[in-house]
Amino acid sequence: MSGEVNPAQSPTLIPSGVQPSIVPRRRRLNVALGVAAGAAAFFIFVATAWSDRLLAVFWLFGLAFGFVLQRSRFCFASAFRDLFLLGDARVMKGIIAGLALATVGFAVLMVRLVPEVGFGSLPPGATVLPLGIHTLLGGVLFGVGMVLAGGCTSGSLYRAGEGYVGSMIALLGIMVGLEISSHTWNWWWAFHISRAPLIWLPEQLGYLGGILVTLLGLLVSFLVVSWWEFRTSIMLPAKSADGHTPSSFGEHLRVLGHTVFVKGWPVVVGGVALGVLNVFLYTYRHPWGVVAGLGIWADKLASAADLGAGELLGRSSLAGCAFEPETASALGHMPLLNLGVIGGAFIAASLASEFKLRIPRQPLRYVQSVGGGVCMGYGAGLALGCTVGAFFSAIPSLALNGWVFAMALTIGAFLGVKLLNRLP
Amino acid sequence: MKIDVRGEICPYPQVKTVAALKKLAASDQLEVLTDHPPALETVPAQAARLGYVAEITEVGSAEWCIVLRKTS
Repeated sequence: MSGEVNPAQSPTLIPSGVQPSIVPRRRRLNVALGVAAGAAAFFIFVATAWSDRLLAVFWLFGLAFGFVLQRSRFCFASAFRDLFLLGDARVMKGIIAGLALATVGFAVLMVRLVPEVGFGSLPPGATVLPLGIHTLLGGVLFGVGMVLAGGCTSGSLYRAGEGYVGSMIALLGIMVGLEISSHTWNWWWAFHISRAPLIWLPEQLGYLGGILVTLLGLLVSFLVVSWWEFRTSIMLPAKSADGHTPSSFGEHLRVLGHTVFVKGWPVVVGGVALGVLNVFLYTYRHPWGVVAGLGIWADKLASAADLGAGELLGRSSLAGCAFEPETASALGHMPLLNLGVIGGAFIAASLASEFKLRIPRQPLRYVQSVGGGVCMGYGAGLALGCTVGAFFSAIPSLALNGWVFAMALTIGAFLGVKLLNRLP
Repeated sequence: MKIDVRGEICPYPQVKTVAALKKLAASDQLEVLTDHPPALETVPAQAARLGYVAEITEVGSAEWCIVLRKTS
């Protein structure tokens, strides 16, 4: 009968009396998928190690970054956004912890690369970028975009691996924005960027001064965001710890496995793990960056449609995510790093049975993902990096551009939240 | 009251929950159906600020129900 609603099919929110056999079965399927993906990832590692050690290393680091990002639900966008949206600094404190650790690690590496600080002697790999109007403009655009799209570049990569369709669309938007910025790059280069200074703190202050100023800056940032959190909200009571102590070694191992693979990690653990990984990655060539890989893909796709940007002026002299489209490979070490992040997040999400295709129901969200993505892409193209390359890798490089970009991101996130609050 | 925020992008699961809590009658409870893992941390924290306690149950693969009740 058409007029009657079958109670079994009525849209109840909570499937009351959930079919108890279905959930565990789905979970087992999810875990099996994660194990299979882990095996495939290992096979790719072995296969790339055979041909090019650097590719294998970057693939492995990508997997590790993706795993950590997913497990700690680490989101650079939410760190900036939640300061203004919720008055919450939890994630920002995790980032500051990771930055402090990476600052010390990077410093040790840079002292070995450039023992004598002289003029023009920048350590190879360090993310010291031209500092100017484009850094500010790029950061503000990026900040607005990441709030609208619900994630930055690294966030969109790992959420794509978790099955968020909105993030997959945001990645396409980012690539469009990057390609547009590549097309305007030569104008920006002639107008401003070629004359913008590279300011590496040890050149002005010596190594000790540069490290101390950076650590002091992080301490002040920590105090400011803590004050901000205290000012705008009530401090929350700490979670009560589970008093149960494991009785046997087997149970101990089970609890440990559950903590690592199923339960989410505290965000500070995520920040510190990302900082440590970034230091180790730098020992291989240069620190973590996302935009180079995405920019290379964008230009390869555009070139296939005869819309490539061609030669980009001055790129060979620049560090960080300044890719050179003519010589880069679509499966080079930077694109592979990004693929690793998606793969690592997929493995982590599946093992925790958190993988699911999440399809936004409101059409506006697709507009936000594309629009926010294009904003992020253009901003990252101008600033030569995103929340990862131009911020998370730049501040530990003792580069002033990292701090300016962080300020611009904060302004952008503030504007983004204003905009977000007006959307339904 | 019940809200379904499955499929939503970040931060809407949190934002919509807080908006619903502000409209909630004192005697009522709020059930939030979500597939967004970060919400499992941010929603209880936000709810606590408004005087609610959260109880999370897994209702499917990567789907959770968060029940929010007024602390007495």
